Amino acid sequence: MTTTILDVKGLAKSFHGNAVLHDIDLDLPSGTTTAVLGSSGCGKTTLLRLIAGFETPDGGTITIAGRQVASPGSAVAPHRRGVGYVAQDGALFPHLTVGQNIAYGLRGNARSEVRARVAELLETVSLDASYASRRPHQLSGGQQQRVALARALARHPVLMLLDEPFSALDTGLRASTRKAVAGLLAAAGVTTLLVTHDQEEALSIADQVAVMHDGRFTQVGSPQRVYRQPTDRFTAEFLGDCISLPCTVASGVADCTLGRIPVQGSAPEGPATLVLRPEQLVATVVSDSERLDGVGTVIAIEFLGHDVLLTIDPAGDTAPLIVRQHSLSPPPIDAKVRIEVVGNGIVLT
Amino acid sequence: MRGRWSRISSPILIVVSVLAVVLGATACSSSGNAELLVYNAQHESLAKEWIDAFTKETGIKVTYRQGEDAELGNQLIAEGQASPADVFLTENSPAMAAVERAGLFADLDAGTINQVPSQYRPTTGKWTGVAARTTVFVYNKAKLAPDQLPKSLLDLQQPAWKGRWGAPPTNADFQAIVAALLQLKGEAATAQWLAGMKANAVACSDNIATLKTVNAGEVDSGVIYHYYWFRDQAKTREMSGNTALGYFRNQDPGAFLSLSGGGVLKSSKKAQQAQQFLRFITGKAGQEVLQKGDSFEYPVASGVPANPALVPLNELQAPLVNPSTLDAQKVTDLMMKAGLL
Amino acid sequence: MTSTVAILVAATLIPLGYVGWATLSIGWSRAYHLVVRPRVGELLFNTAALVVIAVPLCVVIGVGVAWLVERTDLPGRALWRPLFVAPLAIPAFVNSYAWVGVLPSMHGLSAGVLVSTLSYFPFMYLPVAATLRRLDPAVEESARALGSDTAGVFFRVVLPQLRLAILGGGLLIGVHLLAEFGAFAMLRFDTFTVAIFQQFQVTFDGAAGSMLAGVLVLLCLALLLAEALARGHARFASIGAGVPRAMTPIHLGRNTIPAQAGLVALAVLALGVPVWTIMRWLWIGGAQVWVLNDIGMAVGQTVGLATAAAVLTTVLAFPVAWVAVRSRGVLARSVEGANYVTSSLPGIVTALALVTVAIHVARPLYQSVALIVFAYVLLFMPQALVNIRAGLAQVPPSLEEASRSLGSSPTTTFLRVTLRLTAPAAAAGAALVFVSVATELTATLLLAPTGIRTLSMQFWSFSSELDYAAAAPYALALVVLAIPVTLVLLRQSLKVAAL
Repeated sequence: MTTTILDVKGLAKSFHGNAVLHDIDLDLPSGTTTAVLGSSGCGKTTLLRLIAGFETPDGGTITIAGRQVASPGSAVAPHRRGVGYVAQDGALFPHLTVGQNIAYGLRGNARSEVRARVAELLETVSLDASYASRRPHQLSGGQQQRVALARALARHPVLMLLDEPFSALDTGLRASTRKAVAGLLAAAGVTTLLVTHDQEEALSIADQVAVMHDGRFTQVGSPQRVYRQPTDRFTAEFLGDCISLPCTVASGVADCTLGRIPVQGSAPEGPATLVLRPEQLVATVVSDSERLDGVGTVIAIEFLGHDVLLTIDPAGDTAPLIVRQHSLSPPPIDAKVRIEVVGNGIVLT
Repeated sequence: MRGRWSRISSPILIVVSVLAVVLGATACSSSGNAELLVYNAQHESLAKEWIDAFTKETGIKVTYRQGEDAELGNQLIAEGQASPADVFLTENSPAMAAVERAGLFADLDAGTINQVPSQYRPTTGKWTGVAARTTVFVYNKAKLAPDQLPKSLLDLQQPAWKGRWGAPPTNADFQAIVAALLQLKGEAATAQWLAGMKANAVACSDNIATLKTVNAGEVDSGVIYHYYWFRDQAKTREMSGNTALGYFRNQDPGAFLSLSGGGVLKSSKKAQQAQQFLRFITGKAGQEVLQKGDSFEYPVASGVPANPALVPLNELQAPLVNPSTLDAQKVTDLMMKAGLL
Repeated sequence: MTSTVAILVAATLIPLGYVGWATLSIGWSRAYHLVVRPRVGELLFNTAALVVIAVPLCVVIGVGVAWLVERTDLPGRALWRPLFVAPLAIPAFVNSYAWVGVLPSMHGLSAGVLVSTLSYFPFMYLPVAATLRRLDPAVEESARALGSDTAGVFFRVVLPQLRLAILGGGLLIGVHLLAEFGAFAMLRFDTFTVAIFQQFQVTFDGAAGSMLAGVLVLLCLALLLAEALARGHARFASIGAGVPRAMTPIHLGRNTIPAQAGLVALAVLALGVPVWTIMRWLWIGGAQVWVLNDIGMAVGQTVGLATAAAVLTTVLAFPVAWVAVRSRGVLARSVEGANYVTSSLPGIVTALALVTVAIHVARPLYQSVALIVFAYVLLFMPQALVNIRAGLAQVPPSLEEASRSLGSSPTTTFLRVTLRLTAPAAAAGAALVFVSVATELTATLLLAPTGIRTLSMQFWSFSSELDYAAAAPYALALVVLAIPVTLVLLRQSLKVAAL
């Protein structure tokens, strides 16, 4: 039976009279990774700091592993919460070596035990044991991040908090570090909460994604759910590119310039906006001789390496559509293409 | 590279002009051509009184450089014939003697010499005493009774006086007393006495510090010059209210009368005005400054009696000391050997 | 450029050269006897005891105050912050004068330690506060998440990062203690410099003075060495590209009252006592101590000398700082080294050297204004240099390159770009020099031309005759002169982390 490691109920926080968080509810089942996804300034870092204990909430409660650690007016100090915290750029202690950094929270243990644990942790984060005697400034950004992780894991915390853990890294490093960290945390079975503004990051490593906007969650669910079935426009647009088309909905089918597309059953009848993801559109070249309805003209091609973005001007006075597909033999400019829609669309109110 | 030189040159122009202004401004305050320059090691307030009275009477302007006996004396010796000074005034004799030995003094006018009795000036006529102070034994009235006072300065080296008297060994005033002791009793006795001083005496930084320490009861007694006590008694008495003076008398080294000296430098370009200055100081008007003012030093010339508060000069029974042969260098060496300096 | 710098560096080594020459010319055995005397032993003990006790006290006070003012939610800390820079406006000898007025029997080591600590703790407080401001709060928060309570965070994380600031401040204080004369003479506390002065009075331009000065130089170098060793290759700048967020102040709660009480007590001791004593003596002295003629002249002469010295020093410091910051190689290294050495020499050594050199080699310069201004430049160039160097270091060469690519000649680039950007730092350096010259005593007493009576000299002359009331207006003038300049210092320290 999975227990809930973190239980946030009705959390609210204001700074200088401005409300930063409103009525936040969040559950973290044990062993899972949750990503809070939102743009800068939406309040996600504040949420993290409240859970870590660096701020006290104005309303609501925080419960960690069954113990209430925060409510308005009373809060357990950060050093007693047993939470692992990794700051945005690692925040390693500059005056200590890597090994001393990792061992920081292990005070009071026997020297040999500490040494063994440090070695074990270094291995966990895939760093060679010789790194223990190096100083933080001798490490690259990615390595510093991993040391910070090891340091936070040293005390076997019940909950790990990561603040934008990969944003300080070079793009090239990001993906590999992400995978490594995700694997590490999963292997350790640690419940993790990370905040990020990068949707790819959130989707790839989280079991649960909570999308935050202006201090509130717009949707909380699995990555597939929030991506494929966003409940509002903000969530849809934040999770990825959208193609919006006006349409008319009737009994679970939306009628638009691209044809008749099935939508979710609960969609209200009548005029609405249909939202499709770029990968749902497939552009096939047609020869000129075929009939011309449902056919558009390629007006621009953007080469992205792996993919191309085709800007297609559909017949009629609909706005141009952008379709992404693989870059092997893309249709040339001015080619006539027919657009097919794969899968269900989303109707948003 | 060249650009940087031009960058330096304009600030340097500014700087040079600033310096010129400063030099110009300060030149006004330093001696112009008509001003007499006195190297003054006497107390500044007394020298100012003399200078003001002199300028009032003669119209000759005087500037002075304030310093200490040995400092100014040695400065004169180092400057030699190129010294800008016209007159040298000291608190005690050894510095005068040193400058005299270096051959830097001009002969004093007969007019000046005749105003000063022979026991208050050296026979060489190269300089003269302009004031005098006597060594006294100051004691805390609560700690010592008048019948417990030492009969001689030399008593203070006895073990009985351990930790019970204070003096300022680094001070020129006190070094003059040691110089007199050296002349009167010889090197061996002086060295022995200094060793006793090292063992027994509390070192203070100057006469005033000694007086304060005795007054506060931190030490029973001290060896200082008389006028510090009288000055304080005339003012607030906060440094001497608990003390009284004892005089050694009997031509004891402890009754040493130290002469403040004045001399004209050979290198002076204004010899006539310089001589005039010394004649004024040793004249009636100048000596009356000592009698009537609040310096409480003893007048030595022109028959002017001392301030009525003081014990008259002839009752002090001071030992006869040749001021020209007081050896400051030897005293310094002996005191360093004894560990006092 | 490099020759200018080389000349300047050579000039700053004159005092050392003088001591070395004096040592050689005296001969080993005489030198030995002059140095190995019981009195010298006493002085060494006094001086060492003073440094060993006062510097750690300053560390405790300076770090404590800085932490309270920068890190906690202490009410009124915006007021406390500039207030504890104010003791820099009060010269140490005025502080002694004040304390002797309050407790006349004060003397000896304890008095010396008290006055030293109250006068010099701002030298520790300023760099520590500036460093605290720049520390990355994320590091401290990580420490808290790792199980350290407030005290643990302070001792294990904050204090080690303050090490450079503490060492630098401690060195500065130590060097000031070694060189201080007026303050300790007034307290009847004989340290080395007091004795050098007395020796000089006994034998002008003489052996004993130089020997003691030589020992003092060695002490200074020992301090420098100790600091360099303790500093090591430490590099404690914040790692990582994160922008430090504003720190959440630590809540003091019921500790607020004791903290405020402590700060109030410190302010009373460091500022209240001197100000009150000066006012009291002015009151006792009445109108007659206000000899406006003398005071006016002293103010004018002091301001004139201080301004000339400040301007000249700042101007001359620029090429030296340039070489130190922009170039590598032997010249840069020796510039830095010479700077450190000179900055540790007491004023009396420099003055002695210049007097001797002037008398023997450059007689027309003897007792001239030019010589004393030159002495000030030598004495205080390091202060200007440190500030200008810090300012220059913040002007990246890419800015100057951009200006040059836009058509400005090197001179124009310097005037329009570099000078503008380093102006605040240069102003702070000039302000420091101004205050230092205005309150300088030992070298001034030795070098002042006849007729120059600066505020310090007048103050000293009156207070050594125990005419405290007459000395009070001069003390007041000194403090008032130093105030606006201290404000410049404070403002600059809010931007530059290193003094």
